[in-house]
Amino acid sequence: MMVIVIGGGWAGCAAALQAKKCGAEVLIIEKTDMLLGLGNVGGIIRNNGRWTAAEEMIALGGGDLFEIADRCARHKNVEFPGHKHATLYDVNIIEAEVRKYLYSMGINIMFENRVVDVEMEGRRIKSVYLHDGTEIEGDVFIETTGSTGPIGNCLRYGNGCSMCILRCPSYGPRISISMRAGVEDLQGLRGDESFGAMSGSCKLEKDSLSKELQEQLDKDGVVVIPVPKEDINLDKLKNKVCQQYALKEFAENIVLLDTGHAKLMTSYYPLEKLRKIPGFERARFIDPYSGGKANSIRYLSMAPRDNHMKVVGIDNLFVGGEKSGLFVGHTEAIVTGTLAGYNAVRAGLGLNLVELPTSLAVGDIIKFENESKQTIEGLKQRYTFAGAVYFERMKELNLYITDVDKIRKKVEGLFLKDFFKNKII
Amino acid sequence: MFKFVDCIDAGTEYCPCYLAEKGECIICSQLKGRAFCDCLNWKGTCIFQEYTWNNNKAKKARDFKEYVLKSINFLRDDLIIMEVFVNPYLAKQLNNIGSYVFLKKPQSPHCFAMPVSIMKSNIKNNVITMAIKILGVKTKDILDCKEKVEIKGPYWNGVQGQIFLKNLKNSEILISARGVAASPCVMVANKLKKHNNNVIVILDKGRSNENFAKKEFLDLGCKVYDVNMIDYSNYTLKDEFKKLINELMRKHDFKVTMSGGSDEFHRLYLNYIYSVNKNLNFATVNNALMTCGEGVCGSCHLKLCNGQVIRGCKQQYNPAEVFINIKGDVNI
Ligand SMILES: Cc1cc2nc3c(=O)[nH]c(=O)nc-3n(C[C@H](O)[C@H](O)[C@H](O)COP(=O)(O)OP(=O)(O)OC[C@H]3O[C@@H](n4cnc5c(N)ncnc54)[C@H](O)[C@@H]3O)c2cc1C
Ligand code: FES
Repeated sequence: MMVIVIGGGWAGCAAALQAKKCGAEVLIIEKTDMLLGLGNVGGIIRNNGRWTAAEEMIALGGGDLFEIADRCARHKNVEFPGHKHATLYDVNIIEAEVRKYLYSMGINIMFENRVVDVEMEGRRIKSVYLHDGTEIEGDVFIETTGSTGPIGNCLRYGNGCSMCILRCPSYGPRISISMRAGVEDLQGLRGDESFGAMSGSCKLEKDSLSKELQEQLDKDGVVVIPVPKEDINLDKLKNKVCQQYALKEFAENIVLLDTGHAKLMTSYYPLEKLRKIPGFERARFIDPYSGGKANSIRYLSMAPRDNHMKVVGIDNLFVGGEKSGLFVGHTEAIVTGTLAGYNAVRAGLGLNLVELPTSLAVGDIIKFENESKQTIEGLKQRYTFAGAVYFERMKELNLYITDVDKIRKKVEGLFLKDFFKNKII
Repeated sequence: MFKFVDCIDAGTEYCPCYLAEKGECIICSQLKGRAFCDCLNWKGTCIFQEYTWNNNKAKKARDFKEYVLKSINFLRDDLIIMEVFVNPYLAKQLNNIGSYVFLKKPQSPHCFAMPVSIMKSNIKNNVITMAIKILGVKTKDILDCKEKVEIKGPYWNGVQGQIFLKNLKNSEILISARGVAASPCVMVANKLKKHNNNVIVILDKGRSNENFAKKEFLDLGCKVYDVNMIDYSNYTLKDEFKKLINELMRKHDFKVTMSGGSDEFHRLYLNYIYSVNKNLNFATVNNALMTCGEGVCGSCHLKLCNGQVIRGCKQQYNPAEVFINIKGDVNI
């Protein structure tokens, strides 16, 4: 059975890996020259409820990528405003590690190839077309193209192309594959009901900061510095993707995290202003390249899905990550991508599809997000284990557990230990 | 089906054009009345971005300018070769596959402007060469030009299926051309030779017993065959032509064939080629009737086999989709 994964971000890598573990032949088609997509500029895992989600996945046998991220950690157990026990993986080394692992598992990857169209046969996708017209056939397809950009969206809903890691000008725009297959996209909303959301962090070259800041970052992983009074802009928080970081503290302070770069927890920051702050006199942006002016726009391209991660209306298309809902985060992409990969193989075999139990956070978030986004208010929310509405819900429902043993026992109690390790072909 | 949608002007200095201004862009969904990106054919620039940065206006359109006429040579009473001194910019821009300009006599009204393919563009002395068949009102008007002509350009959609020509390297192509349609084929042969392709040309003997462009092809190092192509009694391909095609197809490994003739000729020729070998890609001389060249007037509109209407002056199509009878059976 041939499973084709379109888009090699965290969600695509997780889906490919899971489909392979289930026994399928797998091909990832990625438009850039790198895997991990936005994961190349993120780095925060295991903060707040993401700790629980990562451990649940490990207990379920779907923890391979978390184990790689843990191995690539620069800092563990970091605390910063509103967030506990975060791990910061090193964005400078992790892509190569994931790539090596996927190759070692026998997954095929085509880089610098963009999918632009589909060939349908009734309610099934028969094949996809690359930008040069090449047709590639498959049995089941998984779309994990994310929701970022492309340039026109970043322009209409943001401050223009900021030259983010997806590099549309070099590799061409993201397009919605599910829409080419005939299914209309859903869009996320902002507080004021305009469309989309702006990415909420940018990265500075660590070496451009003062020696003191560098040393503090290396030692603690985090630095918090008050923003000059005249620069505090609470409005900017409303447009932000990452509602878990849309706290007053993030407007009043500059929060820097050490992910190999110095991650600045704000959408963008005019360079002249930034350089007035002690320690930032020589600061320069490394991602997005134009972080002094803009950041990428996201959540304009979600496919309607069921809780098996199958796209509604198409028999053999699955989705994960930001393509599948208003999910923010690597952890969320890995969780949804893994289930998409698992069910894709089941669908290919004609077996019934599975949902993850809602007694686990990883199952509950998939169902909760799907229900919530039926309402306008729900479309204004983002869903992450790390904060905002969903972390609140985890705490209320006692889903937020940090005791690893307890999580393992819970999964065993559900007879789901190593569930994702089962070969089904 | 793979949507082969291409605008020849997309990503050039003439993009975005009037169509974008009116919400009718061929490529960009944001400039076609939609609020989200659904880019149909990325050519390395974002048309919406260009439009926004240009203060939400189209780029300046091409305009008529006067140029000095170098020479008019009568090959027959109804066939001329015209040479014009243009500026270095135009000479460079027209030195491309599919180049054409609109041509008219100075002071004649715009309705006299006619599209003419560029056969050669010399970027050393900035002379362009065109072959013109004297047919009707517009072409007769041109004959009255003394020292000057007016030219509007550059345009590039004079050849369809350009993607197959531009991607061809170290390979072999068969060009079959008749009459004045051989002119744009000379430009094609010239460019393909530069990419180390073996270019084989079959020319129709026609009335003069030899096509006017034969010498040009020979000068470029192409192998040229002369035949009678058409049996006029029932407008079919002559046996001698078919025999030659079969022979050449056996001897060579053609990846592409180019048809230089009328649309009726394209249909006959391409279907014959298709019946011999289904793996060839096709390029054709663009015979759409053009008046404005800007996608506005509608005189060039044509219907593809899938029912979609396209603007022949700006839009590329896959000739197989237009001229081959077996629907959907063609690889692109
Ligand atoms: C600046 C920034 C910092 C972040 N920091 C963190 C963080 O610290 N921690 C955290 O948990 N989350 C963070 N996030 C959010 C997180 O990175 C994303 O939610 C998550 O990685 C999304 O994964 P994805 O696989 O769904 O999409 P993406 O990462 O967007 O991956 C999509 C992939 O598909 C490819 N693609 C798109 N279209 C096509 C096509 N047509 N053909 C082929 N390939 C295609 C793209 O090139 C890309 O590689 C951050 C996001 C940003 C923008
Ligand atoms: S020539 Fe006017 S629209 Fe094409």
